[in-house]
Amino acid sequence: MSAFLYGVGLQWKLDIRSKSLLITCYVVPLLFFAVMGGIFTSVNPAAKDTLIQSMTVMGVSMGALIGLPPSLVEIYASDIKKAYKANGVPLYLGLVSMYLSAFIHLMIMSGIIYVTAPLVFDAALPEHPLFYFGMLAVFIAVSLGIGSVLGLAMKNQAKLTMVSQLIFLPSIMLSGIMFPVDLLPGLFRNLGNMVPATWGYRLMSDTSFTFGNLWPLAVILAAAVALCVILLNRLKSE
Amino acid sequence: MSYAIQIEGLKKSYGDHIVLKGLNFHVEKGEIFALLGVNGAGKTTALEIIENLRRCEEGRIVVNGRVGIQLQSASLPDHIRPMEAVRLFAKWNRVEADPSMLAALGINELAKKQYIELSTGQKRRLHLALALLSDPDIVFLDEPTAGLDVEGRLSLHEQIRKLKAEGKTIVLASHDMAEVENLCDRIAILNDGAIVFIGTVEELTAKVGRRYKLRIETDQGEECYEADNIGDTMLALLENYKQKGVEVLDIKIDRGTLEQHFIDIARGNGE
Repeated sequence: MSAFLYGVGLQWKLDIRSKSLLITCYVVPLLFFAVMGGIFTSVNPAAKDTLIQSMTVMGVSMGALIGLPPSLVEIYASDIKKAYKANGVPLYLGLVSMYLSAFIHLMIMSGIIYVTAPLVFDAALPEHPLFYFGMLAVFIAVSLGIGSVLGLAMKNQAKLTMVSQLIFLPSIMLSGIMFPVDLLPGLFRNLGNMVPATWGYRLMSDTSFTFGNLWPLAVILAAAVALCVILLNRLKSE
Repeated sequence: MSYAIQIEGLKKSYGDHIVLKGLNFHVEKGEIFALLGVNGAGKTTALEIIENLRRCEEGRIVVNGRVGIQLQSASLPDHIRPMEAVRLFAKWNRVEADPSMLAALGINELAKKQYIELSTGQKRRLHLALALLSDPDIVFLDEPTAGLDVEGRLSLHEQIRKLKAEGKTIVLASHDMAEVENLCDRIAILNDGAIVFIGTVEELTAKVGRRYKLRIETDQGEECYEADNIGDTMLALLENYKQKGVEVLDIKIDRGTLEQHFIDIARGNGE
């Protein structure tokens, strides 16, 4: 247990030293929030009601889908994996420690949006903060699950960037955070239903718990965990 | 006598390509044993199978003792500091790092640097330290001095000799023939997935023979010769120069390195 906790703590430090994760987990999402928050609320004052949720969904999607996978590829598609294997460090450590570390970073980033949005943009706070943060945790867990699958499945950074964008862009454009889903044509609305950002945004915007918005995320998370186990086993036997 | 490592009938292929064609050899306790071979001969594959990092199709592998592994192409996260890596690996292996070993390898001096800032030599030393953390009985070193400068090589050779003096068994794969000639008790030469020679450097020399290179500088220029019998050849050449009235200014004799013998055997010319 002490080795595991040391590994997670160490990963937290490495993430802070690595500028790339800080950029995708803090700098870009918070800059986006600062710029788009002003535009959204001036173009449509009603956007203040869901500004915290929409900006958080964007930030979490960016950190989980664009930030986490390259760090995983750095370990699992490189000689670091061999060094771990040869020296008795279990292969899952890289994945689990990065997942937990990124989870905490994304919670902090979401907390910054939660605290500053009402002060800067007069955004409305969620009615039930505990419920909101609970659903936020679920959404972060699911998004990082997808990021983990991408990081374990891809062997090269160029392909990874392409695939990550293929998931990230629909997450932003079709989830309802940029404009109402009702305005989208049927095909795009259906496509939007396949990305966790859509369900995360609905869950966090709800004033009460709706199981119908949770189960798609639970299914995606279960599939991501299963895929991660399969991919880790494949990497182990390589 | 029980061996440190015993290999019987080791076979491995990737698809249709047979990489190892049934290796049989043993490594004695406390010796430095080298696996040699040109690129693609199968030495890294053989080593990684013995290290349990790769699976084989057939064969029996017995490894008697704790193992420490320094890989040819190991790496660590860019921003990790050497002592953090030592602590992480020590914790997972449930051991305490030996301060004298870390000091001998100069790991403490690297405390403030991140992995990305280390030189090739410093990285090699760190990976050797990680391989030695659990005080292994058998140490595997794959191309330990590749990419190092002369000073780095000498320092690592000294470390390897110290390990042998401590009674550890060392198995190394190398391209550096001078290194093998200086360090190793026995060598095995792999060619096309099979062992073509196994024995001491002296036995290899006796098998292939020493070929001398002569470089003679005269008042008319420089000439090179190769000879098996150095005495007779020298006498004949000097007599020839004397008859022609050519003045000999300098003579250099190169007794030939293990590398030449290795290449002869690996290419099938040594049989």
